[in-house]
Amino acid sequence: MPVETTASGIPIYAVPALGPALPEIIMAVGVLALVLYGALRGERSTGVVTAAAIALMAFTLGFVLTMPAETQITFADAFITDGFARFMKALVLIGAIVALAMSREHFRRAGIDRYEYPLLILLAAIGMMVMISANDLIALYLGLELQSLAAYVIASFHRDNARSTEAGLKYFVLGALASGMLLYGSSLVYGFTGSVSFPEIAAVLTEGANPGVIFGLVFIAAGLAFKVSAVPFHMWTPDVYQGAPTPVTAFFASAPKVAAMALAVRVFMGAFLTIVDQWQQIIVFIAVASMFLGAFAAIGQRDIKRLMAYSSIANIGFALLGLAAGTQQGVEAVLVYMAIYMVMTLGVFACILAMRRGGVELETIDDLAGTARTHPGFAFAMAMLMLSLAGIPPLAGFIGKYYAFWAAVEAGLVVFAVLGVIASVVGAYYYLRIAKIIYFDEPVGAYEPMPGFLRGVMAVSAVFTVGFWLVPAPLVAAAGVAARSLF
Amino acid sequence: MITLVHFLTLAAILFTLGVLGIFINRKNVIVILMSIELILLSVNINLVAFSSYLNDIVGQVFALFVLTVAAAEAAIGLAILVIFFRNRGTILVEDINTMKG
Amino acid sequence: MYHAIVFLPLLGFLIAGIFGRMIGPRPSEIVTTSFVAIAALLSWIALFSVGFGDGATTVRIGNWMVSGELAVDWALRIDALTVVMLVVVNTVSALVHLYSIGYMHEDPSRSRFFAYLSLFTFAMLMLVTSDNLVQMFFGWEGVGLASYLLIGFWYQKESANAAAMKAFVVNRVGDFGFALGIFLVFYIFGSTSFDVIFPQVEAFATGEAGADFVFLGLDAQGTLTLACLLLFMGAMGKSAQFLLHTWLPDAMEGPTPVSALIHAATMVTAGVFLVARMSPLFEFAPTALVVVTGIGALTAFFAATVGLVQNDIKRVIAYSTCSQLGYMFVALGLGAYSVGIFHLFTHAFFKALLFLGAGSVIHAMHHEQDMRNMGGLGKVIPLTALMMVIGTIALTGFPFTAGYYSKDAIIEAAYASSAGMSDVAFVAVVIAALFTSFYSWRLFFMTFAGKARWGEGHGHDAHAGHGDDHAHHHDHKPHESPPVMMIPLILLAIGSLVAGFLFKGVFIGDGYEAFWGDALYTRPDNTILVDLHYVPAWVVWSPFVMMAIGFGLAYWMYVRDTSVPARIAQEQPLVYRFLLNKWYFDELYDIIFVRPAKRLGHFLWRTGDGKVIDGMGPDGISARVLDTTSWVVRLQTGYIYHYAFAMLVGAAALVTWYLIAGVR
Repeated sequence: MPVETTASGIPIYAVPALGPALPEIIMAVGVLALVLYGALRGERSTGVVTAAAIALMAFTLGFVLTMPAETQITFADAFITDGFARFMKALVLIGAIVALAMSREHFRRAGIDRYEYPLLILLAAIGMMVMISANDLIALYLGLELQSLAAYVIASFHRDNARSTEAGLKYFVLGALASGMLLYGSSLVYGFTGSVSFPEIAAVLTEGANPGVIFGLVFIAAGLAFKVSAVPFHMWTPDVYQGAPTPVTAFFASAPKVAAMALAVRVFMGAFLTIVDQWQQIIVFIAVASMFLGAFAAIGQRDIKRLMAYSSIANIGFALLGLAAGTQQGVEAVLVYMAIYMVMTLGVFACILAMRRGGVELETIDDLAGTARTHPGFAFAMAMLMLSLAGIPPLAGFIGKYYAFWAAVEAGLVVFAVLGVIASVVGAYYYLRIAKIIYFDEPVGAYEPMPGFLRGVMAVSAVFTVGFWLVPAPLVAAAGVAARSLF
Repeated sequence: MITLVHFLTLAAILFTLGVLGIFINRKNVIVILMSIELILLSVNINLVAFSSYLNDIVGQVFALFVLTVAAAEAAIGLAILVIFFRNRGTILVEDINTMKG
Repeated sequence: MYHAIVFLPLLGFLIAGIFGRMIGPRPSEIVTTSFVAIAALLSWIALFSVGFGDGATTVRIGNWMVSGELAVDWALRIDALTVVMLVVVNTVSALVHLYSIGYMHEDPSRSRFFAYLSLFTFAMLMLVTSDNLVQMFFGWEGVGLASYLLIGFWYQKESANAAAMKAFVVNRVGDFGFALGIFLVFYIFGSTSFDVIFPQVEAFATGEAGADFVFLGLDAQGTLTLACLLLFMGAMGKSAQFLLHTWLPDAMEGPTPVSALIHAATMVTAGVFLVARMSPLFEFAPTALVVVTGIGALTAFFAATVGLVQNDIKRVIAYSTCSQLGYMFVALGLGAYSVGIFHLFTHAFFKALLFLGAGSVIHAMHHEQDMRNMGGLGKVIPLTALMMVIGTIALTGFPFTAGYYSKDAIIEAAYASSAGMSDVAFVAVVIAALFTSFYSWRLFFMTFAGKARWGEGHGHDAHAGHGDDHAHHHDHKPHESPPVMMIPLILLAIGSLVAGFLFKGVFIGDGYEAFWGDALYTRPDNTILVDLHYVPAWVVWSPFVMMAIGFGLAYWMYVRDTSVPARIAQEQPLVYRFLLNKWYFDELYDIIFVRPAKRLGHFLWRTGDGKVIDGMGPDGISARVLDTTSWVVRLQTGYIYHYAFAMLVGAAALVTWYLIAGVR
């Protein structure tokens, strides 16, 4: 890249290469066009905008998958695409597409079927893609905020509903605090290393870290932990999951978690890998605390969305255990875990969205009673997903946990792997309780007919969970390729 | 002579004030929004101070980005606050707890 | 083509299993049957292209799992041994599918039945085509599952459920050994893939590769023997060999086509297949081979003696199967692997024929299975009787039928061999040949000859469980089965007559080398296949003489003077009761294993679990868990400032950690 400077010494860069960021650019142009269309056509445009948003993301997904696997850097080293980015972006886009497609029917029935929703999902998706491709602290912040700002709004998307707005407000306040912490940490890291670029930070840190950097690192870790909802930065999760409209919760639980995890991998493996001894303790603590708190708190829940919130806290703990290993194998474990987790979560939320009776959305686990008799297919899918989340072999969830524990053991974190196993035993209690309620309690009554797409999502995720052990190779191999690109 | 340490101390104090403002304040959500601004401000002071100290332009670019994002964040925060007020008729922090457990 | 052979049955299973209720029984029958039939035709093509054409190949389907050193693929190993098994499995399966259309035509859940049959076929194909031990274990457990489901197909019937469970549990004992064997093989060779294991065996057992190898105090040779014995334990379970045989007769509770497919022609031969497949290992573990011979000979003899006195038509054939499997293991143990597989091949035809013939009889008798209530059926259902004659002569080794070639080869091999136990084995199999002939003809005469003992009175009491659906549409007169059931019988009968004659040359004769290729391994000093052609004439004649004596005895006792059997039973009550109660194995196991296990279980449940563990463990722990939960949940107050406070405390705690612990 030719670097000229002005008279005062400020470098002038030529127009950066846009190729590596083409998926994001396509999305951004598309979302602007759709904003215009929506603004001109008004409420009637919802159907078109939703369809177009799904098509746009599907197209981008295809585009991402066909991009070359080698590492490319652009925008003055701020933006990177590599095998890791490709894998994670594909996951995020799949999550966003499914979450958006599941939402339409629900919003229509709730009377809040507005065109802004798909647009906000698109914006969040762009934010997540930037997060995944972030190669310096500025891109990290911008991606994170783009995703978060869209998320605050959709959390309170049901704007005549007190709970939804309360969820939005809580999410906003705590999210802003978390971004503030993250930023404060970033400023310290910038100041004490003299750079915002991850590779340069890593280069500086090979000579050891001073307390300022560690301070900054802790605050960045806090900000990231908030986004993945890890203990003790998890407090927003149950309230927001419960309050937000269910399709929004489905979205929150899937794609943003994956993106935030990807960002954590980028930061810890990209910028701070050389001081792994320093942050390993933080991550291990956060991971173990999350696993236990998630498992224990979930037992006390009756609301199924709240339960899923605690479940996601616990699951993130397992994934973080893989990250804490600080090895390529650990990253591979994180990737496999997040992919499996996302599929299971989308499946569970498809089930939750299908729980309606008499025009009312059902939200407690008692509403699942005896569905084995009224809706055998639904009950089977839900039970399998629950058993998988509990980590019962040979379901997919078990394999994800197995990879995470294995990576931790290989990295010498045997004690914490054992703690993880104990936590997952505690966690199995509430998952199994749901399976019991589904199969052995007296049925209350049948649900309304389920929309075809929800059935499809349930079927696909149930088949994935049950059959994953037969053909794990494609996913594991892809994750392996993705993890290798970081090292 | 005002050194880097002074700037950093000032920023740290502002940051702490901002954080305290969020969790000590029990009255008004607006105050929380102000506290958030305070936090972002402290970050900007940090960034600009480092930028000047390191003789590196990137810190100031970062600060500009932060300012822009802060504006958007404030707008969204106020918007959410307005619809919350419409639903509940209050913006007392203590009243925001219909969901817990 | 190989993909089609293996996956068509799976497709059939999925269609009939998932959409069976939607599309109804008839389409399910047609889909599964035609898919398996296509697979069968392709298998025959494969037999000729592999056995007489381009030789072995391996079709890799995909990677299954990689975990450290363990790398397992989904792959189809296509060699002579595999294609022989493919032919056996798919042919018999296709014919049984076809036959079942007639046999099961009154059962309301036929589509489930056909789905299970296809599932079984698929699992069996996975087993025989596997190129590594793990995939084989997958197929192994798959056929176990399918067998369980099919034995317990009439789940309203308590005895069927009990039999299904018994089969499952007894097989677990064998499978445990098999699994341990796989672990040990993996430990020794660092792989479960045959292509990796087999070339290493010789260097390990005799060369320097295993010179310093010690495992549990065993040297390389000892460890290899242990691995082989563990694998053989799996084979014993699946192939119902002595000590683990008790499930097979009970498995006759399943529908008769199932008995023909699973408990005669295919699944029970999986053990034989396993030993043949692992021949490179067994060749270097002579001690293990002696055990194989011994167990095989004992089973052949024991099962034949029990078969002499059974009265249930299917149980006689079941014990006969058990006995014939013993023959196969004798051949394997003597190092004559191809002879064992040859007998497996021919046995599949005539034993499936006998079972399906018995099924035809049972069908004709409206699900009556007790031979004491039959008799004189030869005039009523002549075609079935003819089929049974063919099956019987093939089984007893009448010259130029299938059994004549394969069984006599085993007897000759037993005489010619100088390996350990071969003398015992020779005596055992010759005597067993006499018994075989006797019980086979006894079965035939009791069923088809003499006076009719059916008609009034009995008929429907023996099958009250499921028989309700079947019985009341009919008059009580026996009737010949429909063509859809007779066609499979005729095809199998042809096979029983000519399979031995046609394939003798390539399986055990001059075409041996060219046909088997590398599929079966024999050490250079193993000359049993040559030796067995040079035995004295009296050895060659002995099976025929035994057969003739057996026939004569049966004719005398069950046609000429029918009071003889009762008189003998009265004069020799001890022997008679001993045999009738199958050497008291079930009772013995009940005393040794079942009752102590129950007592122990009861003790552990009441005292150990209820008082000690529950008190301190689950109940105590779950109470603590709930306490913790309520405490954790109370933390979640719903107030923003508490949440923010928690975050700050978290960040502060982490920072403090570093201030105290210091930056290292």
